Amino acid sequence: MLSRILWSRASQRLLGVAALAAWTAAAVYAQGAAGPGVPTPAPPERSQQSPASQRPPATKVSQEYSAAQVEAGRTQFASQCGFCHGRDAAGGAGGTDLTRSTLVAEDVRGDRLGPVIRSGRPGQGMPAFALSDGDLAAIVAFIHGQKTQAETAVGGRRGVEPSDLQTGDAADGKRYFSGACARCHSATGDLAGVATRHQGLVLLQRMLYPGAGRGGDPPRVSPSVTVTLPSGQVVTGKVAYRDEFTIALTDASGWYRAWPASQVKFSIDDPLQAHADQLGKYTDDDMHDVLAYLQTLR
Amino acid sequence: MTTCTTFWRTCRRFADARLRALHHGLLAAVLAVAAVAPAVAQDVPADVLLKPAADSWPTYHGDYSGQHHSRLAQITPANVHRMTLAWAFQTTLPQQIKATPILANGVIYLTAPDNMWAIDARSGRQIWRYTYPANDGFKIGHRGAALRGDLVYLTTPDAHLVALDARTGRVRWNVEIADSRRGYWSTNAPLVIRNHLIVGVSGDFDNLPGILKSFDPETGQLQWTFHSTHPPGTPDSISGGATGGQMWMTGTYDPESNRLYVGTGNPTPVLNGPARAGDNKWTGSIVALNPDTGELEWGFQAVPHDTHDWDAAEVPVLVDADFGGARRKLLLQASRNGYYFVLDRVTGKNLLTIPFATVNWAKGIDGEGRPIPNPDKEPARDGRLIAPDEAGGTNYRPPAFDPATGLLIVSAHDAYGIYFFKPEHGAVGWAGADYTVYGRGVLRAIDYQTGKVRWSHDLHGGAGAAGVLTTAAGLTFTGDSANNALALRTSDGTTLWHSGTGRVGNAPITYELDGRQYVLVGGGSTLYAWVLPALP
Repeated sequence: MLSRILWSRASQRLLGVAALAAWTAAAVYAQGAAGPGVPTPAPPERSQQSPASQRPPATKVSQEYSAAQVEAGRTQFASQCGFCHGRDAAGGAGGTDLTRSTLVAEDVRGDRLGPVIRSGRPGQGMPAFALSDGDLAAIVAFIHGQKTQAETAVGGRRGVEPSDLQTGDAADGKRYFSGACARCHSATGDLAGVATRHQGLVLLQRMLYPGAGRGGDPPRVSPSVTVTLPSGQVVTGKVAYRDEFTIALTDASGWYRAWPASQVKFSIDDPLQAHADQLGKYTDDDMHDVLAYLQTLR
Repeated sequence: MTTCTTFWRTCRRFADARLRALHHGLLAAVLAVAAVAPAVAQDVPADVLLKPAADSWPTYHGDYSGQHHSRLAQITPANVHRMTLAWAFQTTLPQQIKATPILANGVIYLTAPDNMWAIDARSGRQIWRYTYPANDGFKIGHRGAALRGDLVYLTTPDAHLVALDARTGRVRWNVEIADSRRGYWSTNAPLVIRNHLIVGVSGDFDNLPGILKSFDPETGQLQWTFHSTHPPGTPDSISGGATGGQMWMTGTYDPESNRLYVGTGNPTPVLNGPARAGDNKWTGSIVALNPDTGELEWGFQAVPHDTHDWDAAEVPVLVDADFGGARRKLLLQASRNGYYFVLDRVTGKNLLTIPFATVNWAKGIDGEGRPIPNPDKEPARDGRLIAPDEAGGTNYRPPAFDPATGLLIVSAHDAYGIYFFKPEHGAVGWAGADYTVYGRGVLRAIDYQTGKVRWSHDLHGGAGAAGVLTTAAGLTFTGDSANNALALRTSDGTTLWHSGTGRVGNAPITYELDGRQYVLVGGGSTLYAWVLPALP
């Protein structure tokens, strides 16, 4: 439910902020996530939200599809979706493993998948697809079929399991944390219980760069900006859009306001910049150690 | 050749006259004369590619060199801010334009997966549209068309090569390049070299041999096949069990030595290194081929034993210029693995290897100039933090070389990804998992002789999708990672013009018609044509 609410809010913000992006953001071959200053508009699915479950989320409502529809969907899926999500829907170049997707698990005959496929997720590089109702239904049928197969299969073919990520030393990680991370984070403050909220790959991704990658969780913090107008008036808010020519924010009342970047003074405070800077400093051991330490914060 | 040169001079005279006329407000008469001047043949002979005329962009890279540099100089740093829209052509597809258009005889040929449009280069009006029948190939993108005689060529998502009548868009013939049921597809813009049509394919999700084919441009008959990797089990294979190495980008050609230069893709299985020990030749390489036979002249591996999906398919840019005090025939490549390479393109010998983007995967450079992959940075069960990410330090988006400044201008990407491999991932296709952590797009101007970055221009977002065009007037055209088409001063990267066209996904091109210089840039699913203002 939480993710549904976030999604609809984000959709509204997306419409207001970057309507153009919807038709420009066709998936680029093997492109990565957008950098900072370009807010990720659509919150991704929370594939490992429940602390109790390390298994892929199970289909909520079982659904049956005809073999012909699934086969038609296989063809459509391969050509439209397969490059990023894999022909078998279990992940490809950059796209998430749909057989482990919460959105798919919660979908009933396209009620959740349809809007995402039709609108895309521009912030995460997923384009909008203009499909007929029949083609869309076939793709949905195929995805559910693949998910059913994956639920009965043994082992995740392209998955990363929490058990894979247990090579670090928590004591070393704690030392590293107090040197590199403690300026912004606290084990008893913002990160208290983080390991009960996130595990495995999701925790690792959030640790490295919150909101990282497709299917990553949205960051809980976003860049804020202070804009000083020529009149001397000061406006503050969350960065809504930023490029070389435009600075835009969402103010406290939720309004989008934009200015030519050359005609105002502004300063951006991006709390995530420290994460980007840290990426060049971690050794792989450091990374595993800090993860091991975060895993103790239950 | 002579005709082209003469035509070029004629054209330049008109262009110069027009600029003066602009200043004096006497445009109309000049335009009227210029409009009748380019009386060009309708067929596009194969040798026009040797020295393309100003009123054409007859091949994916504009010419054989891959420099993406134009002699046109009507639009200058002083007047570029006055550019206005001549026309905009909408594909009406949801997918962004990723193809670089080609142009001859006043007609633009633009492609998207399963689609080609012929467009009037003066007005943006559609002349015809061809749609390929429904198929289940990947529709991830398309690079562009090729043109020869009265035929225009389209590769398809199901790995076919279709020859269309350039006048009508009707199919003349259709041949299979590779079997799409095995996992091949094609986004390739073919390259015409005399009576050869060189065509590449893609295919990373299955363990497929790397193939480049040459077809007879008139009949579609296969002439030769070059294997960057051979089918598994081939005797004397030097790939160490690797497949892949697909040549999905358009190569370049040196007519003097009759050599075709092509970059090869990453090996398969993609992230599973242990399944394929050794260098995995000729994946992640630049290869020099004889275009008449497909025989390998030499190869240089930009990434020995790649385990991160880093193609060396990026444009091998051919430049004749000083290097180390002597005039040399050079090949420059800013490669997806984050390193910039300079090769002597006659011998294939490496002259320079230096990073142009953030890298952390090599433990040194070997005696042949190849980065030495650090085994600790191979994908592992518990993950490895790697720079660059899968998208790479750059990618398919073509760079430009500006001869006046000696700058190779590259859409670079400083990025990190986490890479995983465990035996359970298997040994077919991707065989692993990787996730981008963070990336930042930056346009970098690289001094071709030293590899030093002369200037950088923030692209305000993740990896850019736009290629680069430079012109003799000292302008650089490209797009940022946000929403804008850009014109920069080539010497220092200063922004001189921009337009919020939607994200640029192709390489800008330029041409001159009727004495007017046009700059074409794709933004979103629209192709925009920019010109200097004309008098009403």
